[in-house]
Amino acid sequence: MKKRALAVVLTVVIAMGLAACGGSAGDGSGDTRQIIRVGSKDFTENLVVSEIYALALEDAGYEVERVQNISGSVIHTSIVNDEIDLYPEYTGTGLLSVLQMDVMTDPQEVYDTVKEEYEKQFQLTWLDYAQANDGQGLVVSKDVAKKLGITTISDLQAHASEIRFASQGEFNEREDAIPALEKVYGAFDWKSSKVYDNGLKYELLEKGEADACPAYTTEGQLIETGKFTLLEDDKHVWPPYNLAPVVQDKILAEYPDIAEVLNAVSETLDTETVTALNAKIDVEKEEMEDVAREYYESIQ
Amino acid sequence: MNGKWMEVITEYFRTNKDLYLEMVSTHIKISLIALLIATVIGIGGALLVSGNERAQKILSAVFQTFRVVPSLAVLILLIPIMGTGIMPALFALTLLAVPPIFMNTISGLTSASPFTIETAVGMGMTKRGTFWKVKWPLARPMILAGVKTAAIEIVASATLAAKIGAGGLGEIIFTGLGLYRMDLILIGAVSVATLSLMTGLILDGADKLLVPWK
Repeated sequence: MKKRALAVVLTVVIAMGLAACGGSAGDGSGDTRQIIRVGSKDFTENLVVSEIYALALEDAGYEVERVQNISGSVIHTSIVNDEIDLYPEYTGTGLLSVLQMDVMTDPQEVYDTVKEEYEKQFQLTWLDYAQANDGQGLVVSKDVAKKLGITTISDLQAHASEIRFASQGEFNEREDAIPALEKVYGAFDWKSSKVYDNGLKYELLEKGEADACPAYTTEGQLIETGKFTLLEDDKHVWPPYNLAPVVQDKILAEYPDIAEVLNAVSETLDTETVTALNAKIDVEKEEMEDVAREYYESIQ
Repeated sequence: MNGKWMEVITEYFRTNKDLYLEMVSTHIKISLIALLIATVIGIGGALLVSGNERAQKILSAVFQTFRVVPSLAVLILLIPIMGTGIMPALFALTLLAVPPIFMNTISGLTSASPFTIETAVGMGMTKRGTFWKVKWPLARPMILAGVKTAAIEIVASATLAAKIGAGGLGEIIFTGLGLYRMDLILIGAVSVATLSLMTGLILDGADKLLVPWK
């Protein structure tokens, strides 16, 4: 009984002590600098990249609030409505979904266009873009790719009659998927084409129940280059989806060094790096925050 | 609005007729095979345990337990064992359809009143004769009702087969969901509903044929 009373007293004392510390720390930093609100979309890659941005900003002395898991369809509205200060966006998404412009396939051209239009229309700045490209792609299982000598989408089209295609249904219908490919590469007359749940595609390829499937170019599973071959879009049908931070102009005006901090991060992010980060989280099931921290520390 | 819908839907059938017909026929094929297997297992199982109340209870409990696992979960759980395609789809649908057939057969067979059976025995019927000439015909309407319930459930659930590459009308629905295209969802959903209704009607017809005294 005595022991329990002692424990209660101790807990109260410690709690009060902690509260006091927290309070004084907050007072110290609160009025000098604004909190930077770092947003992210609701999928692995965007979450981990935004976490890396947040860590870099904290390291540079900023206080950061993380606003995570915003749906991709509303995040642009969030930043325009001043609910977040910055978030990682893809150049292709900005071009096609936000600005509703026509497809372009040169990464620099796409970047220059979105940068200019965002500035004009929304007072938002695109900082430097990373080499990492999370675009659409087609994947073939390594064995089949080797046997038939397939490395590009042209090769795939030529061998389509020997390929069992596994789609999630929408890929066959969506304007920018098979219909767009067929306009440029010619018809894909698959040996068979079946619809599966999207989550099954890599397993199907691995087990040899299908030969090819649609993919996004930074999906974690693609790190296993011994099993899967990502095909080159040799006739450039798909626009680039390079990663870059989109930041509110007024934040950059007040804290110009944010540009430098985030550009330094972007410089290190290429497609392989981002794929590896996705793989750690989605394939090896590590915690997103740990993966981000580990990566951030590795680029210091 | 109405005119536009009609236009979009007509356009779909114009360009995708072959694909659509293939999906319908796959859907019917999967459903029929699953129903056939489930009927054999359901009625066969019920006949096997018809004299044994304890076995009846145990078997019903087992079937009921399997039935509560959602079909979608069964499909995904079966992938490591049976892979993808038609086989696991048939397995999941059969699992879903056996209980109503089994349970209805059991309760149909026990529905003959003791008085009727006593009369049969009194007329000099053997145990076997009582079963096939009295109990079985009296159970038939119940059994058919069970088969009908099962068939309608199978036709509706066969939609899920598209998740694992077994084809069927689910393909249109899942594609429509992915693209947020209401026309596709509508075409798929209405087709499945129509198939379900037709199944019900056909089995009602069978009911009239097999149970003429009703």
